[in-house]
Amino acid sequence: MSTDKQEREPLFSAKNRKLLTNPLNIDNPITVQVLGICSALAVTAKIKPAFVMALSVIVVTTFANLIISVMRNGIPPRIRIIVQLVVIASLVILVDQVLKAFVYDVSKQLSVFVGLIITNCIIMGRLEAFAMGNKPWPSILDGVGNGLGYGIILIIVGFVRELFGSGTIWGYHVIPEAFYDFGYKNNGFMILPPMALIIVGIIIWIQRSRNPELIEEN
Amino acid sequence: MYSNAYIFRYAGLMVILVAAILSSAAMLLKPMQERNEAVDKMQSILTAAGIENVNSDNAIELFNQYVTNMIVIDEKGNVIDEYKDAGKENSEAFKVNLKEQLYNKSVNRSFRLPLYVLDKDGETINIVPLRGVGLWGPVWGNIALKSDFNTIVGVTFGHKSETPGLGAEIETPVFEDQFPGKKLFNEKGDFVSIGVIKGGVENFPADVQRHNVDAISGGTITSNGVNDMIKNVLESYVPYIQKRG
Amino acid sequence: MQELFNIFVKSIFVDNMVFAYFLGMCSYLAVSKTVNTSVGLGLAVIFVLGITVPVDYLLNDYILKPGALVWLDPEFADVDLSFLSFILFIAIIASMVQLVEMVVEKFSPALYSSLGIFLPLIAVNCAILGGSLFMQEREYQSLAQATSFGLGSGVGWFLAIVGIAAIREKIRYSNVPGPLRGLGITFIITGLMGIAFMSFLGIKL
Repeated sequence: MSTDKQEREPLFSAKNRKLLTNPLNIDNPITVQVLGICSALAVTAKIKPAFVMALSVIVVTTFANLIISVMRNGIPPRIRIIVQLVVIASLVILVDQVLKAFVYDVSKQLSVFVGLIITNCIIMGRLEAFAMGNKPWPSILDGVGNGLGYGIILIIVGFVRELFGSGTIWGYHVIPEAFYDFGYKNNGFMILPPMALIIVGIIIWIQRSRNPELIEEN
Repeated sequence: MYSNAYIFRYAGLMVILVAAILSSAAMLLKPMQERNEAVDKMQSILTAAGIENVNSDNAIELFNQYVTNMIVIDEKGNVIDEYKDAGKENSEAFKVNLKEQLYNKSVNRSFRLPLYVLDKDGETINIVPLRGVGLWGPVWGNIALKSDFNTIVGVTFGHKSETPGLGAEIETPVFEDQFPGKKLFNEKGDFVSIGVIKGGVENFPADVQRHNVDAISGGTITSNGVNDMIKNVLESYVPYIQKRG
Repeated sequence: MQELFNIFVKSIFVDNMVFAYFLGMCSYLAVSKTVNTSVGLGLAVIFVLGITVPVDYLLNDYILKPGALVWLDPEFADVDLSFLSFILFIAIIASMVQLVEMVVEKFSPALYSSLGIFLPLIAVNCAILGGSLFMQEREYQSLAQATSFGLGSGVGWFLAIVGIAAIREKIRYSNVPGPLRGLGITFIITGLMGIAFMSFLGIKL
């Protein structure tokens, strides 16, 4: 197993800090790694579910990364996918069952997300790409970082869609009534799933204009 | 490389471990979950009837206080079972598995459905539980009718996994508050159900407004699911309603 | 027979996994650079869906759903194992995917290397798990119906990814603004295709 006896690096060395901050921008799970799109479409019609989803994903990526990273030396490569999925799914189901028994109201809010979290490819993608080959502490940081990077995009998309689609933010009306009197209308198109794709496309446009090194060949 | 024997041992051990953890969790927590579900069902029934300040602590007590009769009917409209005593959560009507019975209906087998009768300040209210399919999973609800079995007093809806912000809006007051006052039967006395339509109900003639509410924008499939659910479930009660005269 | 055909056509066009439910997006966006790889991945998805949906149907019918264990012993009529459906469906999917991975690696190393990380990711391709969960929810009444639904959903996904790949091959000759090239424009095109496919929603079969 991993015993880091020789050079102990500080907990927040430059390399470790990068693990945390890269996914927020140049290595963003949604706009650069293309992971976790389905759930990004499903939960961003309003900010609130986007926020809840972001939080749940941060928690799950962190713990799944930690567990797989601890187990990584014992997992036979041929059945690694099954092992990873079983770990994620049991974690999520267990949490859901416990919530259902003790805080039913919370579980009613969250049960929608359970399926979405299990099949969220961010979790699987990070397990496969990072936790399988790294020590527990960097894996935790990677999990938190990617969860945050995912959450930021979700909240931006949710903000735009809720503001223009329903005229509200976090459920509160922000567009003044006077606007509606002048003939302003909520854009119903905004809350349809295809608009989420188009907004993410625009976010990618903005992000890549600022980071030209991300621009693809064609 | 790992030997096949190791892979089998590893997989076997993992399966047993996970199965043990999950099933013991499910078994230990089941009584609490079932109680929570029953309380939630009661809350939803009471809220549909317009009873205020229902919470998970007083739901059982209020349920027994307001509900006067719990009836089970069959597909021909005959009353099979009635229950008027205390401990309503143990009645046959409360235990009917709606999903199973509606499946029986869809394959033309005989079925039985529950009906809850409430007495709210001297007024009789009938509650019909609903169940159908939305976009991603089941949707359900309760519809409260006046003693004429025609005018709607209130509704509550619930869902398992509709899209947040779109289909999930069926459980918000914005959608539910459209229902009170709508009618199930037209002026001739034929069953028309309550429809969910697009384009703003207020733009339609009065006879359409009488039986329809606005759909959820962006939640077309869920709205259609609610539409079909109300029609499918309530039409099963028509023989019973007509028998009462 | 006609009903099977209806389910098949419906799951390709009306209930298209990509454009109606927006499932399986990650691999759809990332692997659709060329038509060749898209055809490969699309076929893999048809294959995996065509196997997992019927297998999960049997699993659900004989083991998971409430009262399903009656065939073992009438005493088990009250047993409800549906809390296990998520994990068992996933396990079936993951083993099928691993199987496909081994077969592809053996017979077509070129396809294997171009699919790369996305082959394991079929396992979390939400379209696949979605297929099984929809099957459970919609209560198909026979194995044949479940199979035709599984295959239809796979074909729908195949059509979607081959369609976008063909557009992406052509768009290479267009003057797309630099930062939008590649992923950005693909997102936007998919959104537009999704809007177009919404017109199928009105069809009742």
